[in-house]
Amino acid sequence: MKGWIDSLIGGSPWMLAVVHGVILLLFILNTVLLMVYLERKVAGFIQSRLGPMRTGPYGILQTVADAIKLLIKEDVIPTKSDRFLMVIAPFFVFIPTLVIFSVMPFSEGWIASDFSLALLFIIGASTISIMGILMAGWGTNNKYSLLGGLRSAAQLISYEIPVVLAALCIVFYVGSLSTVDIVHAQSGSWRFLGFLPLPKWHIFSLPLFFAALIYFIGQLAETNRTPFDLPEAESELVSGFNTEYSGMRFAFFFLAEFGNTFFAAALAVVLFFGGWDGLQGIWGALWFLAKAFLLVLVMMWVRWTLPRVRIDQMLNFAWKLLVPAGILAVVWTFAVVVYKSGGQG
Amino acid sequence: MLGFFQGMRVTMGNMLKKKVTIQYPTQRRPVSARYRGMFYLKWNEEKQRLNCVGCTLCAQACPTDVFQMRKVGKGTDAGVDIFTMDLGRCLFCDLCVEACPFDAIYMGPEYEFATYDRDGCVLDIHALTKNGGGDSLANEETIYRLAKEAEEKAAAKAKPGEESAKEEESE
Amino acid sequence: MTTAPALETREIITQGMMLNMGPQHPSTHGVLRLILTLDGEEVVDCDPVIGYLHRGIEKFAERRPYRHYIPFTDRLDYLCSLANNHSYCQAVERLAWIEVPERAQYLRVALLELNRIASHLVFLGTFGSDVGATTVFLYAFREREHVLDLLEEITGARLTYNWMRIGGLPADMPENWDKGVLEFCDYMEPRLDENDRLLTNNRIFRVRTEGVGVVSADEAVSYGLSGPTLRGSGIRHDIRKFRPYEAYDHLDFQVCTESGGDVFSRYRVRIQEMRESVKVLRQVFEKLPEGPILTKTGKLLKAPAGEAYSQVESPRGELSFYMRSDGGTDPTRLHIRAPSFCNLTVLRKLAIGTKIADVVVILGSLDIVLGEVDR
Repeated sequence: MKGWIDSLIGGSPWMLAVVHGVILLLFILNTVLLMVYLERKVAGFIQSRLGPMRTGPYGILQTVADAIKLLIKEDVIPTKSDRFLMVIAPFFVFIPTLVIFSVMPFSEGWIASDFSLALLFIIGASTISIMGILMAGWGTNNKYSLLGGLRSAAQLISYEIPVVLAALCIVFYVGSLSTVDIVHAQSGSWRFLGFLPLPKWHIFSLPLFFAALIYFIGQLAETNRTPFDLPEAESELVSGFNTEYSGMRFAFFFLAEFGNTFFAAALAVVLFFGGWDGLQGIWGALWFLAKAFLLVLVMMWVRWTLPRVRIDQMLNFAWKLLVPAGILAVVWTFAVVVYKSGGQG
Repeated sequence: MLGFFQGMRVTMGNMLKKKVTIQYPTQRRPVSARYRGMFYLKWNEEKQRLNCVGCTLCAQACPTDVFQMRKVGKGTDAGVDIFTMDLGRCLFCDLCVEACPFDAIYMGPEYEFATYDRDGCVLDIHALTKNGGGDSLANEETIYRLAKEAEEKAAAKAKPGEESAKEEESE
Repeated sequence: MTTAPALETREIITQGMMLNMGPQHPSTHGVLRLILTLDGEEVVDCDPVIGYLHRGIEKFAERRPYRHYIPFTDRLDYLCSLANNHSYCQAVERLAWIEVPERAQYLRVALLELNRIASHLVFLGTFGSDVGATTVFLYAFREREHVLDLLEEITGARLTYNWMRIGGLPADMPENWDKGVLEFCDYMEPRLDENDRLLTNNRIFRVRTEGVGVVSADEAVSYGLSGPTLRGSGIRHDIRKFRPYEAYDHLDFQVCTESGGDVFSRYRVRIQEMRESVKVLRQVFEKLPEGPILTKTGKLLKAPAGEAYSQVESPRGELSFYMRSDGGTDPTRLHIRAPSFCNLTVLRKLAIGTKIADVVVILGSLDIVLGEVDR
């Protein structure tokens, strides 16, 4: 992939960045379109409905139609809103999502920029979106939005910690922050109980399974999925921080939300499910995407099953249960790593 | 925690089950025989007229003054040539149908009667007979003829024929 | 060595944030407006404002013959129109000393219980979506569709049935309707078990509802609560049992109570009541006698001068019609004791000191219908 792009643009680093950016943007747009369609279908099927059926065969063009609708809709900015904040907030939410995809390895060599601090970069960059949400909540001058924005800030900051702790376990285990290294560390297979062949994915080793659980719950909260969808709690805050947004700006929030959900699933595949698993080129990417979408489906399944928690319960859960558990997982992993290296590490 | 997995099982089970959606404009579920939908005036094929004799019992039974009618003729030969229902105020309560002793007004299975303006809610005799498969013009012809015949008979009886114009219109 | 200067202590003066919840809000179940004063997420004050759906339905009765008013009662509590129809007709029957034939009594019970199930299913669905479980909403409405189909078969309407008449019912049940109802009973019970697995046993649902919005038994009585809201506080009071009307004294059913007094107890009571309703429905068709369905009254009913009061256990609580007649063709005064209205009075007390999310859940657990609150 890299070679192909290089030959296309003649190796200029600026052009390289632009091309990668465009490719990622298109990838995110298409993934989100697909995910919205999936979400609707899954929600429909779970609720014994059919989901979209009219636009195109089985409604496959429904999200395309919606995207076009959002594009041509009027961009309403309320008079009493803080215009500047309201206008730039969607970009603050969306751009981190776009940026973190640059270190996502889709397949062997299929990565926009492979650098050694990738995981740290992901954690750092994704936190910026909290600011965007706060800006949206404050800037639109709507009380529901404000509540949603504040909830979101509290929630994202709290759940960032367990997610980071879970990622830290992987970092200890692999000894690298690079996403590519993490995937490479999971190639090969081992035998469970001496006979059952299993891939060497991190999820199948005990302390990391524990970390994966923490990661999954934390990411549900990070991406505002249902048991933790308080920032936009429909039945309480109507739509939370994006209540006043319309048209393209709303579409950016939407893109960011679904983009983050996909990213969370994709990162889980990288950290725990072996990434592209030693497959090459397009096959690796397909295998990777298949696993990511499976995880996305699980997230949707959870979303349409569970009720929503309350803000204090959610924070209690994060600080009193998930963070200690995360620390425990880190200590456990550390112990395992030290034991395995025979005290030499 | 157990409850969580039980719930997941329930949703998965429903996901694999048959869906209940009826895709409305293209598929429809049949309404029940008693369904209280659009009104129509019952057409009597044999007599080539409506069953309605303009007795106003339905109008009296109506809680919201939906009906307006004009009676033509007398007795069992009487009929209506104006029969207007303002469905904008109708409660679809069935009281008029119950009140009718001649089985003349009926509620059919049609249920899509949204209109773009309020005037569209006011149905005249043409619209109401069309719903029942009748023809309001034929009805008018029949009842006018009957009224005229009755009139002529009465005139023949009374011989001098002075009171002929009296019974033409009554509400 | 210099000591650090003492920190200036200053009291921070905060101001509550006033939040208008409703009249357009997905969780106020209609056009209820709650003026909330918030301190962060916490509710400092809650002031319900009602009247957005006021249509003067009580006044309508004073200018209309008795029979003409029945369709108006449909529009009170539109989720259980039949209970309203029935309570009104019962009041007129008591006022004018009209007997209801036995078959009509049993069929009325069947209709009322079906309507109770439909109403409780709406509660279940909306309550589910209040706590964030959207799927429960659609499951409940899927089940309710079966009830509505049955009611459509007998009454011809799906929401505003208008199927009670003074002195009985306007028509007998269609052929095989009883079989349809019994089939539904068999269908409904497993669905309720399924709901238990999906929602009732769910840990998140439990922590959201248990211990939230607690009404003690004493408070429940002094606020004049009724129906499942009262029984959730542990008071065994059900008009079907303690002042039986129609055929209820021939039927065997339990009064469901829960002792918690919290949102979860009220939810549990309603779920249990659906099971009891299914039980009642089965008995009705075992015992259904043959006979006439309607006691004929004159075309224009004239009630003797006097007063009548009819109490009915509607799905929401004690629904009563008070009626006074001076011998004419219409009542001189009609008053409706709407259970939703009385139950709503406790909201302010319950809401203060909770979170916004709790207000939504508490309001959902009171199960109000604004058509009845505002009348």
